[in-house]
Amino acid sequence: MSHLKAIYFLRPTSENIQHLRRQLASPRFGEYHLFFSNILKDTQIHILADSDEHEVVQQVQEFYADFVAVDPYHFTLNIPSNHMYMLPAVVDPPRLQQFCDRVVDGISALFLALKRRPVIRYQRTSDAAKRIAHEVSKLMYQQESGLFDFRRTEVSPLLLIVDRRDDPVTPLLNQWTYQAMVHELIGIQDNKVDLQSFGKIPKDQQEVVLSAEQDAFFKANMYENFGDIGINIKSMVDEFQQLAKSNQNIQTIEDMAKFVDNYPEYRKMHGNVSKHVTLVTEMSKIVEERKLMLVSETEQELACNGGQVAAFEAVTNLLNNENVSDIDRLRLVMLYALRYEKESPVQLMQLFNKLASRSPKYKPGLVQFLLKQAGVDKRTGDLFGNRDLLNIARNMARGLKGVENVYTQHQPLLFQTMESIIKGRLRDVDYPFVGNHFQQGRPQEVIIFVVGGTTYEESRSVALQNATNSGIRFILGGSVLLNSRRFIKDLEEAQRIARSSSSVI
Amino acid sequence: MATRNRTPVYRKYRDALKTVRAPSSSSAGSRSSAGSPVIEMVGSSILKQSRSYAPLRTDDPAYSSGKGAPTAGLPPGWVDFSEEIAANVQRAWAKMVELSKARAKALMPSFADGKEDQLLIETLTQEITDLIRRSEKNLKRLSSPGPAEDSNLRKNVQRSLATDLQGLSVELRKKQSAYLKRLKQLKEGQDGIDFEMNLNGSRSTMDDDDLDDMGFSEHQMAKVKKSEAITVEREREIQQVVKSVNELAEIMKDLSFLVIDQGTIIDRIDYNIQNVASTVEKGLKQLQKAERSQRQGGMVTCVTVLVIMCFVMLILLILKEIFL
Repeated sequence: MSHLKAIYFLRPTSENIQHLRRQLASPRFGEYHLFFSNILKDTQIHILADSDEHEVVQQVQEFYADFVAVDPYHFTLNIPSNHMYMLPAVVDPPRLQQFCDRVVDGISALFLALKRRPVIRYQRTSDAAKRIAHEVSKLMYQQESGLFDFRRTEVSPLLLIVDRRDDPVTPLLNQWTYQAMVHELIGIQDNKVDLQSFGKIPKDQQEVVLSAEQDAFFKANMYENFGDIGINIKSMVDEFQQLAKSNQNIQTIEDMAKFVDNYPEYRKMHGNVSKHVTLVTEMSKIVEERKLMLVSETEQELACNGGQVAAFEAVTNLLNNENVSDIDRLRLVMLYALRYEKESPVQLMQLFNKLASRSPKYKPGLVQFLLKQAGVDKRTGDLFGNRDLLNIARNMARGLKGVENVYTQHQPLLFQTMESIIKGRLRDVDYPFVGNHFQQGRPQEVIIFVVGGTTYEESRSVALQNATNSGIRFILGGSVLLNSRRFIKDLEEAQRIARSSSSVI
Repeated sequence: MATRNRTPVYRKYRDALKTVRAPSSSSAGSRSSAGSPVIEMVGSSILKQSRSYAPLRTDDPAYSSGKGAPTAGLPPGWVDFSEEIAANVQRAWAKMVELSKARAKALMPSFADGKEDQLLIETLTQEITDLIRRSEKNLKRLSSPGPAEDSNLRKNVQRSLATDLQGLSVELRKKQSAYLKRLKQLKEGQDGIDFEMNLNGSRSTMDDDDLDDMGFSEHQMAKVKKSEAITVEREREIQQVVKSVNELAEIMKDLSFLVIDQGTIIDRIDYNIQNVASTVEKGLKQLQKAERSQRQGGMVTCVTVLVIMCFVMLILLILKEIFL
C-alpha cells in the first residue's frame, strides 16, 4: 500500500517503539509521519533512526496530549493499575514505579500543552503524592529545564497533588446530578455510554455519546439535579413533538421545500431527544429497583450531618431491608465507619457482622482495610467538618437553615480546598512546597491532581467554581474517573495484593 | 497546541547511522540481487496481481535504499472516482460564487433588459446541477463492485463525499429560494410592468394583435391582456422553480441515505480507530493463515520439482551427446 501516507500518533513507550521498529524495517506505506504524545528520549530517537533503513520517515514531532480531556476543566489519565497508590512502596516497587511514571508523564504533558511551569505543593501525609511531586519537580526543573523554560508570568501557576484517601466519602456517595449520575449508575467511558447490557434498547442508541462539546442540551443540563432534568427533558420532547406535527401537514410546495431544508436538523434533534429519554428512563428504572432514594437519603445524612444514634438505627434498618443491593449495603457501612470510627466500636462491630452475614459476596475485612487506608488518623483535611471550631459552627448554622435538596447537600472536600486557595490560606504544614519553591501572593491558575482518581461530583464543583469568576482558574485531574464501583474494586485489588504479599513476607 | 519538531535531530541520527551502515549494505545487495530476479519472476506468475497492492518485495534492501524511497504502487481504481468527485465539488463551489454575483447584479434595478443576466444565471444553475448529478453518479459507482477488503474504507470515503455534496446542494437550494423570494417581492412592487423573468415578451405582443376584433372595449381589452400576460409569466416562473426544486429534492433524498447522523457514535474518530484496531488484528490472522497455506501449497513444490527435472534432463542430454 505504498501509495498511502501513514500518520502515527503514539505514546512514546518502549513497546510502541519496538512495534514501530518492526514496521520501519519492512515498511508497508509510502511515507511515515510520526507524532508522539509526550517527550521522546534521545535513545528512542536513536532506535527509530537505526531501524529506518528505507528512509520512509518524513517527520518526527512531539504533540503534547498524553491525557484525556473529558471536560473543559477536567482531565483524566485512565490508568488501569490505579490501586497501586494505596500500597506501600515495598510491596511491588516496579508496578508502583510504573504508576508514578505514567502520572508524571501525564502531568508534564499537561503543562507542556499549557506552556507553563508551576510551583508544586503536595499533601504531606501521602507517600504517593510526595513521590510524584518530587519526580515532577525533578523533570521540570532539572532534567528538561530547557523545554519547560517558558515565559514567566508574574505569578506562577500552582500544581497541588493530593491523595484520594483524604476524601474517600465522595466516590462512595450516590449522585443525583446528570453527568455524575449517569457515570455512577451506568458508567461513562471517554464520554461514551454503553447501554448494551440493558435490554430492549433500539440499535442506534446502544452506544451513545455524552459530551458537552457536541450536545447543547447536555451542556445546559449536566450539572442539574434529577428533578430539574426531568422537567427540561419534558419541555424538549414537547418542542420536538411540535416540530414533528408541523412537519406532517405539508400542503404546498413551499412547505415541502421547507421540510427538506429542515430535515437534517430534524433528524439530529430526534437522535438527541431519544438519547436523553433513553438515558433518563434507564436511570429511573435503576433508582426504582435499588431503592436509591431511601439509601441515598441515609448516605447524605451520614456524610453531612451528625447524630450517631440516629445514623446507626438508619443503617441497621437498611441493612435489614431485603430490597437493598449488596453494593449499597457495603457503601452504607463504609460511610458509617468513616464517620463514626471512634465513637462506638461495639456498634461498628455489629454492623460489620451483619454486613458479612447478609452479603455473601462481601470480601471480609474490606471496610477495615478502608479504615486503615483512609481512617481519621490518615486524613489531613477536615472531611466531616468536625475538627475545626469554625467548621462545627458552620455546620450547625447550615443544619438550622435547612437545605434545599437533601440529596445534593454534600460538598466534596475539594470545595473547601479550593476556597482555602482562593483566600490564600492553604496551610504549609499540611501541603508543603517541593524543595525551595515559593509562591508570593495568590496563583491565577491552579491545577489539582488527585492521585487515585477524581469523580464527576468534584468536576462539577470545579466547573461551578470557575463560573463564579473569582479570578482564579481551576483545573482538575486524576489518574482515573471514579464511581463507587471502581473505588471499591480498587480497594479490593489493593487488599488482595496486600494480603498476598504479607503472607509471603 | 504545543509541539516540538524532532525531525532535524532524527535526520542527523539517521544520516550518521547510514554512513556506518553503508559499507555492509552494498555487499548484502550484491549477494541477494542474483537471487532476487528469479524469485520475483516466479512470484509474479503465481500470485494474482490485484491492482490494489504493490508487487511483493520481501527482502531486497538494495532495491529500495538506492532510490531513497520505495517505488509507489498504484492506488486502487475507485480512488479515481473519489478524486473526480472532489474536483467536481470544488468547481461547483467556484461556480456558486459566480452565480451569486450574477444574481445580485440581476436583482439590482436597471433600465436595461436583463436577458443576458437571466441567461447567465440559468446556464450557471444548469452547470452546477449537472456537476452535482455527475458526482452523484460517480458516488453510486464507488459503492458497487470490487473486493471486500477495503469496503469499509470505501464506505467512509463515500460518506464524507456525500456530506460535501449534500452541503453543496443545500447551499444552492437556499440561495435559489432566497433569490426567488426577492424576485417575487420585486414583482409585487412593480405590478404589470414587463421585467426580468419575461423571456417570451414577444408572444404576449402577438396575442395583442389577435384579440383586436373581439367585442370588448379597448380599455377592458388592455386590462385583460395585461393580466393574462402576467399570469402566463407567473405560471412559467413557478414551473421553473418547481422543476429545479424537484431536481434538487431528488438528489437530496439520495444523498441523505448515505450521510451519517450528527453526533452519533459512528461519526467519532476514536470509535473508528478502535474498530480499525480489531479488524486489523483479524486481518493479520487471516494473512498469516494465507501465507502458511500458500507456502505449503502444492504449486510451489510442483514448480521446483519441474525445474529440477528440466535441469536433470538437460544434463542427461549433454551427457548423451558427449558419450555417443
